[in-house]
Amino acid sequence: MDADALAPVTPGRPVGVAIVDDHPVVIDGVRAWLATEPRLTVLATGDNPDEVLRAAPEADVILLDLRLRGRLVLDKLAELSAAGRRVVVYSEHSDPNTMLAALDAGAVAFLAKHEGREHCVATVLDAASDRPYVAPALAGAMVGDPRPDRPVLSDKEREALLLWFQSMSKASVARRMRISEHTVKQYVDRARIKYTRAGRPAATKAALLARAIEDGLVRPEEIGIYRSRAATDQPTP
Amino acid sequence: MSAEPGTTFLSPGTRAVPLPTLRVTDGIDEGGVVRAAAAVARTSDRGARIAAVTIALVWHLAIGLPAVLAAGSTLTVPEVVLGAWVLVAGLGVFAGIRLLRDAPLPPAPLAALLLVVDVAVFAAVGRSLLFSPANWVWGTLAWFFLVVLWGQPVHRLLAMLAAHAATALSAVVLYGATDAADLARATMAFYGTSSLPVAVFVGAAALAALSRERAATAAATNAVLAEREAAEQAQHERGERLELVSRAASEVLTDLAQGLVDPTDPQVQRRCVRAAARLRRLIAESDDVPHPLLHELRAAADLAERNGISIDLVTIGSPPPLPVWVRRSLADPLTASLADAQDWARLTVVSGPDEVVVSLVTPDRDGPDTTGHPAEDGDGQVEHLYERDGNIRWTQTRWHR
Repeated sequence: MDADALAPVTPGRPVGVAIVDDHPVVIDGVRAWLATEPRLTVLATGDNPDEVLRAAPEADVILLDLRLRGRLVLDKLAELSAAGRRVVVYSEHSDPNTMLAALDAGAVAFLAKHEGREHCVATVLDAASDRPYVAPALAGAMVGDPRPDRPVLSDKEREALLLWFQSMSKASVARRMRISEHTVKQYVDRARIKYTRAGRPAATKAALLARAIEDGLVRPEEIGIYRSRAATDQPTP
Repeated sequence: MSAEPGTTFLSPGTRAVPLPTLRVTDGIDEGGVVRAAAAVARTSDRGARIAAVTIALVWHLAIGLPAVLAAGSTLTVPEVVLGAWVLVAGLGVFAGIRLLRDAPLPPAPLAALLLVVDVAVFAAVGRSLLFSPANWVWGTLAWFFLVVLWGQPVHRLLAMLAAHAATALSAVVLYGATDAADLARATMAFYGTSSLPVAVFVGAAALAALSRERAATAAATNAVLAEREAAEQAQHERGERLELVSRAASEVLTDLAQGLVDPTDPQVQRRCVRAAARLRRLIAESDDVPHPLLHELRAAADLAERNGISIDLVTIGSPPPLPVWVRRSLADPLTASLADAQDWARLTVVSGPDEVVVSLVTPDRDGPDTTGHPAEDGDGQVEHLYERDGNIRWTQTRWHR
């Protein structure tokens, strides 16, 4: 499949969001968070991803609870990501392994449920434009990734992830590292982009990578190795 | 709990959270197992060493010396035979003491010296006394080989004995004592004086190996048992904490459901936040036996929570075994800051095999810095950072291997 298979978000139209969770109270809560942002509109909700997507096939971003009716739905996540759906996973399972597994499966972003309110809107907006959003819990999982085949991060990227995880304040990280907030975000996002090479290829990963190159976050020659990996079944612009 | 001021999230009647007194281990200490096994093996080997040293010296003194003295001037070169006797006696005493004290011996020079003595005595004893007790190397020398080579592989002893046999055979041939009776005597003498030392040597080595193995098994079993006990204790303690926090959570939920409290009341919101944070911390504890560092930090977090702080404790990875002073340098600045924190705190631990970073972030407020800057540790392996930027107070300790 092609990165272009991800339906582009039309500027001017609000981003359509589908919420999949098996707890109505959580759906209501997330809906309330998103309602504070006029650029977002919730199109459909429910506890079954297929049904929700049938109801709102045009949804730009899916917020998916990783545990549905007692089961981790990593396989469903992989299926949706491979099909070019931008999935933002949110879960009470914020252990590092689950988070990294969700990234591997193609999730655009991962939110721990308890950090939802602060980061939810920003994550969904970034996801809709195929830009990475790394919430602190995910930053921790990435910086502590023990897997031997983990992406190689630079010292600055590691430090930015670590401090962001610790402080949850980019302003404080910027002061500590004596760089601008913008640069902090760049380090964090670059680290996230390197993760597009981990796990199986997915249209969503290719789209993240493509957007990162477009934005000048990474240069194509820097990421040759993982571009070729993530793009085994598609050319990346 | 109800007696403690500043505690609002548990209703009266719930009992105090016991501060954990959990015994924690650093996992099975393989070095310890090996050391224990070696100690047992040494002890069980000691009897055999005493026997070997005693036999060598007593034989040398009670049988060798009288025979040499009795032979006196009938020896070809009495001075050499007697001098060699004295030399070997001294060597035996030296090696025996070292052996019984577990001090290392230089086996190669001692063995070489014994072989030189062997040749010298055969040469100096003369044809007539070749098979007499005055040729004391026949009877005694094998026992000294044993003492000198104790704990070495058995083939070295066999090599020494082969050299001894070769020396004896050369002497027999050079002295012309080659008739059947003399050769039979030589063979019998060699066999009779070598077989017992070899048996003792091999037997002792086998026993030592066996007891080392047994002791290692026992020590490993004990370590596993201790770990299981600690895990059960941790499990039990978590069960108690779960019960307690569940009760606190269900109380606030019940109050909300019955409309007894107002969800917009900041106090009620704080109760919810604390109960949730506490449940989250409990859920995040995935280790069977807590690492001492995490255990310490969790205890500090519990304590801070009892003082009314809403605290998040997030750990990533598991720390490697750390010396106590490293653990202290990592945890102490954090627990000190935590004790002074207000409102909320975020405590994080990121661990890899070569690095552990602990951080505490609390809201900044007016007032002096509360954490002193502790003296740098000797090796500079743990760095300590403290800063406040108007928004947060940030304490971080970092250990590099």
